[in-house]
Amino acid sequence: MKLREIVTALNLEIKSGEDLLDRQVNGGYAGDLLSDVLAHAQEGEVWVTLQTHANIVAVASTKGLAAIIIVHGRSPDAATLQKAEEEQIPILVSNRSTYDVVCQLSDLGIKAHERV
Amino acid sequence: MSEDTTAQVLTAGRVQELVYELKIEDAMVRDVQTVNVESTMDDVRAILREQKISGTPVLCRGELVGIVSIEDLLKALAGGETKTLVREKMSPNVVTLYADEPLVHALNQFARYRYGRFPIIDRKTKKLVGILTKGDIVRCLLRRLEMNHQARERAHYRPGHLFEDVVSDKSTLVLRHRVEGSNFQRAGEASSRLKKNLLSLGLSPDTVRRIAIASYEAEMNIVIFTQGGELVATIEPNQVTIRASDKGPGIPDVELAMQPGYSTAPDWVRELGFGAGMGLPNIKKNTNEMSLDSKVGEGTNLRFTVYTTNPT
Amino acid sequence: MLRELADILQAEELCNTQGDNVQIDIACACDLMSDVLLHAKAQCLLLTGLTTTQSVYTAEVADIKVICFVRGKRPQRDVVELATNKNIILLATHLPMFESCGKLYRNGIKGCSEV
Repeated sequence: MKLREIVTALNLEIKSGEDLLDRQVNGGYAGDLLSDVLAHAQEGEVWVTLQTHANIVAVASTKGLAAIIIVHGRSPDAATLQKAEEEQIPILVSNRSTYDVVCQLSDLGIKAHERV
Repeated sequence: MSEDTTAQVLTAGRVQELVYELKIEDAMVRDVQTVNVESTMDDVRAILREQKISGTPVLCRGELVGIVSIEDLLKALAGGETKTLVREKMSPNVVTLYADEPLVHALNQFARYRYGRFPIIDRKTKKLVGILTKGDIVRCLLRRLEMNHQARERAHYRPGHLFEDVVSDKSTLVLRHRVEGSNFQRAGEASSRLKKNLLSLGLSPDTVRRIAIASYEAEMNIVIFTQGGELVATIEPNQVTIRASDKGPGIPDVELAMQPGYSTAPDWVRELGFGAGMGLPNIKKNTNEMSLDSKVGEGTNLRFTVYTTNPT
Repeated sequence: MLRELADILQAEELCNTQGDNVQIDIACACDLMSDVLLHAKAQCLLLTGLTTTQSVYTAEVADIKVICFVRGKRPQRDVVELATNKNIILLATHLPMFESCGKLYRNGIKGCSEV
């Protein structure tokens, strides 16, 4: 599924990477502990989190994640956005909770890949 | 009160604590109806009927020598022995409890012996000072649970060492909890105890939840950023105020610190699930008044107040 | 009921002083405890990867009765003891948070903001 379809279906606000929405999303990951994301997230997944600081971009870039969805309408820091532009990571914002966003993604057929 | 109701009341967490905190003398009935060993079973019948009780201790020259119950009376009536002396119909070898033992001990003895009542003895004088039924225990617990935090009530029911931290006077109740700096294992314990104490005082669970959440955030800030401090809760009839103070590094820019998402917490704190910069905004959200006073190099004083409705 | 919930999440029960009679209708998925305190509703199920004592204290303060640790994470024994003392039920599943949410959603559990 293309990122653009997710943005439309979930009514997400695009904070960075407007030109990257044709990216393919092949799964989902949810979590706020960066060490867990580094350990378990898979390439091509969309990452749902409430973290906003610049480290999330580094993590997403390292793991080759398709995009970051920040929940609860929280605004990413300026440093985060700047880094996201550099690293080509789309940052999207939802007003809803992690649980709700994952439920919405599930409705679109997005699944978790990861098996621990 | 039925067995079921008793069991239900006794499984509630708060009650479980109370049965350790309270003593038998808090629940027992002091004005004990007794019968003399030389009385007849007819006298016993009159006493049980008049007093609407189902058993009574038997005394001989002021000493407890047995107990006579409604079952003993029924047997005597069935055998036509109404003129027989209590001495012959009573149960001797009566099991007694001491007034200063915790209530939980009495509960265990009720479960063990299946008696309807225990005479209560003073440990020093060995004299009968009261009597205890399961109903007395349940009534005592309910009374404690329904107790509100009005000063007038507190004077009568201040639950002894349940509030070790009480340091204040009659008009307000002050609970003081120390918070250790950098001890993440125990971080939260002060707020946890505060929550229990406030619930014991009869505040509504919703109100207590708001206070506990704010207090926990304040406690985490002390643990994360300072060498330690204290949480002092002042409970007044219509509000609870918490003062969280520390001698830590202080906050350079209070306005910035109040912004959601702003945090100076290091990454390892974030990995502990805190430090996402929502602490102060969250305290504000859960309280009716909040003020923050901080001096770099001296420390921080955070005060917040939650208005409470009078418990019914 | 708790048994059903554990089955849905393929979770193991680590401690439970409350028995099976625990009704869960809403859930919150979060690793950061400040956010749990901010957004979670009382009596919700908490899905988290945070296995320290802070998850238990947070649950207690926020009136959360059941925590399910996700991603195969297991708490230390002292955390289980603390939860037992505070009458908080601990579950643990190997499923990631994402899939745990999805399974609960398909079984009618709602998020905290919807209720």
